[in-house]
Amino acid sequence: MSTDILIEASDLTKTYFSRRGLLGRPTAVHAVDGVSLAVAPGTTLGIVGESGSGKSTTGRLLLGLEAPSAGHVRFEGEPMPALETAEWRKYRARMQLVFQDPLAALDRRLAIGAQIGEPLEIHNIGTQAERRERVLTLLQAVGLRRDQETSYPHELSGGQRQRVVIARAIASDPQLLVCDEPVSALDVSIQAQVVNLLRDLQETRGITMVFISHDLKVVRNISDRVAVMYLGRIVEEASSDEIFSTPLHPYTRALVSSVPVPGTALKDRIVLQGEPPNPAARPAGCAFHPRCAVAIARCRAETPALLAVGSGRKAACHLVGGDQPAGVTNNIGSVETLVEAASTQTSASP
Amino acid sequence: MANISIPGIATGESKQRKKGLPIIVTIGLVWIAAMIVIAVTADWIRPFNITAFDLKNRLALPGNPKHFLGTDELGRDVLSRLIDSIRISLLIAFGATMISAFVGTLLGFLAAYFRGIVEHIVLMLADFQAAMPFLIMSLAVLAFFGSSLPLLICLMGFYGWERYTRIARGLAISASKQGYASAVTQLGASPARVYLNHILPNIASTLIVSMTLTFPEVILMESSLSFLGLGVQPPMTSLGNMVGYGREYLTRAPWIMLTPSVVIMLTTLSISIVGDWLRDKLDPTLS
Amino acid sequence: MFRFLLFKIFRALVTIMLVVTFAFIVLRMSGDPAVIILGPDAPPQAIEAFRHAWGLDQPLWDQYLRYFGAIARGDLGVSMRDGQSAVLLVMERIPATLELTVPALILKLVLGISIGVYAALHRETLLDRVVMAGAVVGFTMPSFVLGLVLVLIFAVELDWLPSGGQDTWTHAILPIITMSVGGIGILARFSRSAMIEILGQPYIRTASAKGMPWRKVVWRHALPNAAIPIVTIAGFMVGSLIAGAVVVESLFSWPGVGRLLVVSVANRDLAVVQCILLMVAACMVLSNFTVDILYGYLDPRLRTANVKG
Repeated sequence: MSTDILIEASDLTKTYFSRRGLLGRPTAVHAVDGVSLAVAPGTTLGIVGESGSGKSTTGRLLLGLEAPSAGHVRFEGEPMPALETAEWRKYRARMQLVFQDPLAALDRRLAIGAQIGEPLEIHNIGTQAERRERVLTLLQAVGLRRDQETSYPHELSGGQRQRVVIARAIASDPQLLVCDEPVSALDVSIQAQVVNLLRDLQETRGITMVFISHDLKVVRNISDRVAVMYLGRIVEEASSDEIFSTPLHPYTRALVSSVPVPGTALKDRIVLQGEPPNPAARPAGCAFHPRCAVAIARCRAETPALLAVGSGRKAACHLVGGDQPAGVTNNIGSVETLVEAASTQTSASP
Repeated sequence: MANISIPGIATGESKQRKKGLPIIVTIGLVWIAAMIVIAVTADWIRPFNITAFDLKNRLALPGNPKHFLGTDELGRDVLSRLIDSIRISLLIAFGATMISAFVGTLLGFLAAYFRGIVEHIVLMLADFQAAMPFLIMSLAVLAFFGSSLPLLICLMGFYGWERYTRIARGLAISASKQGYASAVTQLGASPARVYLNHILPNIASTLIVSMTLTFPEVILMESSLSFLGLGVQPPMTSLGNMVGYGREYLTRAPWIMLTPSVVIMLTTLSISIVGDWLRDKLDPTLS
Repeated sequence: MFRFLLFKIFRALVTIMLVVTFAFIVLRMSGDPAVIILGPDAPPQAIEAFRHAWGLDQPLWDQYLRYFGAIARGDLGVSMRDGQSAVLLVMERIPATLELTVPALILKLVLGISIGVYAALHRETLLDRVVMAGAVVGFTMPSFVLGLVLVLIFAVELDWLPSGGQDTWTHAILPIITMSVGGIGILARFSRSAMIEILGQPYIRTASAKGMPWRKVVWRHALPNAAIPIVTIAGFMVGSLIAGAVVVESLFSWPGVGRLLVVSVANRDLAVVQCILLMVAACMVLSNFTVDILYGYLDPRLRTANVKG
């Protein structure tokens, strides 16, 4: 069974304490709250959410870049070593992070060739000559020219820099690549190129990927499965096709409805009301209920658990999931149907 | 008549955007180069030994064919003593600056890496060093330990370390926040590698600017101590030493005191000018 | 505000503790005090007796605590030269030093700040350039050079002023000038740049554009804001004032604390040196504390800000 899963997280929680003023009491901010997921080798899991949803933190927890407050991460069945130990450093060769801001991630004083080759030096891979050749090959693999080996980061465009970061990330032939908003800082036309590059690399090298973004269009392109996060929890998880064709959770539905389909105008777009999520001031019950168009009384009181809904799908919503009449589960359709189902339920309960 | 133009709009402070070095910086560099050459070749270019007496030519005036800058009461050649003094003073200042930069940067990095209590201790020491007048503290140390040359260099090495510490710590912390330091850590680099291969080269220019600004202060400090008779001891001579000695002959032979004074002033002035220019070029955020 | 004060007091105490510890460490590291005081030829029994009498055979911690206690009680030992209490010896000299340092400080502050501000208000004029050049000279010319040059000119060549000693008030003129010049230069330059930066702020332009007379703009807006960085720097100058006193007093044979320090160092009169060190530390701490309080008072932003330790 463990060979089917490359990396899994169980009940990951990360809590920060922030003080308001010296005399204020520290408030707990649950950036990530009880997240469990598993990624099969060679596949891509997309994690989608707004800022404050905890998706970046989840990515960092998966890589072991931060220690979870609770829960654990297992990579190939082994627990993740503690941060910044020698063991942890060795693990880095097998898992890497691609950052949002490529300029900040690169040392402006070093030529990109040297930076791409740095993981090879750190992990003692190959001889001097082999390393150089490998760097040149990597440059080509990400779509740059071999002679750009001596260029400096500031001499390159944003898209090219991100390619350098990607090249550096795959230099040590990692099994897992976590990409945290890798294309958000790039122009739209370049975004597509970089995403395609990542996809090609996955196909040719069999890298497992976790792709974190707030942008659904991009995630759709590259992910096999998608997890939608809201305020530190996963609210829905399904295969990419299912999420986009039949989203279940009201939040997912709102997100999906705003993704433009080329050639047609946006219709039935669900606009979310209310305040954007603030992890420090988490609503009671279901965190989404203040903005949910179909919230019922139960949503205010009780936090919905992430339950299986059909095969390979999960959702955390009181109106969706195991305790629903069979008819509703597989036939969501429009919002009106949901509202009708909701009123049916409330009127049915004693 | 009050200035009626709207104040504050920076008018010509930097009118010259000429290419190349400003002339005064060039002069400064030339002087510094000359001093370094003198210091290095002292043994060869010195006409006389610094302790050689020429009793027939005591208190000779400058311009004397044998003694270009005159002699003192004991007939010792002022030019030779000046040359040796330049070497000793520069040696002390250079050694001290190196020590203080090294120690200061190391402490700054330690504070930035470990944070927590280590950082608190380092900052506390830095505050302490900045608060106490260095002259007084060094006098105390000299009283207790006496003044030998190695001790003097070590003692001067304590001058200004806290500046490098603050710079190194501040820049290391912002480097970690910025990204490239954490990116390389994430690649699996050991902390030593991160600091030595990445952070240090990036902050080197700021540190160097700080060194050039501190260097003249070290020269002044050592000169003051030597002037008081507590720094460089005879038979060695330093610039401050010569001034102290020349004080006795102020009325009869002012050149004994004036020549090293002029050298002190021109050297500190040159280094300050070059340092200011370097700072403007490399790192305008440092003040 | 109260937290702020408490924190500053804590820091002051820590500094004093550090100085005491520093003195203790240096004292102990420099060799066996018994040998130093009694001389290397003293018979071993005398050395043993001495060490026992002074508790030098106790563990280091014990010595440190006793040392600390002695200082707290004001007992700083006796001068080696004449057996007088070190504290009294130092106290005697303080008035002489104050005669030089206080006028010098006043001169520095008054002349330095006003010249600097004036230069800032009249930029690019001849005065401005003179001030900047003068400031640079003041910075690179060591005080002992300046003092000697002044003596050369005024005492030797012109014979207007005496060159040493403390007999008449005219004797104080050259020392005071020597002490102030460097500080005036630094303060002038700093005040000038602080003022220039303030004058460049948008609110100054607004006030001026509103039609406020320029003089009022300077007095009510520019100067109070410039006071903040200037006060900070002035506070730091107290330290260099004390250091300057050492050199100047030695140069002019002025019988103050500075000169006493130099003489004691030369004679390795450790008790006196220690006493002066602690006294200087106390002065520095006091002046830093005063500056901090003043700073907190002047800058309204600090009064309500949370101060983290």
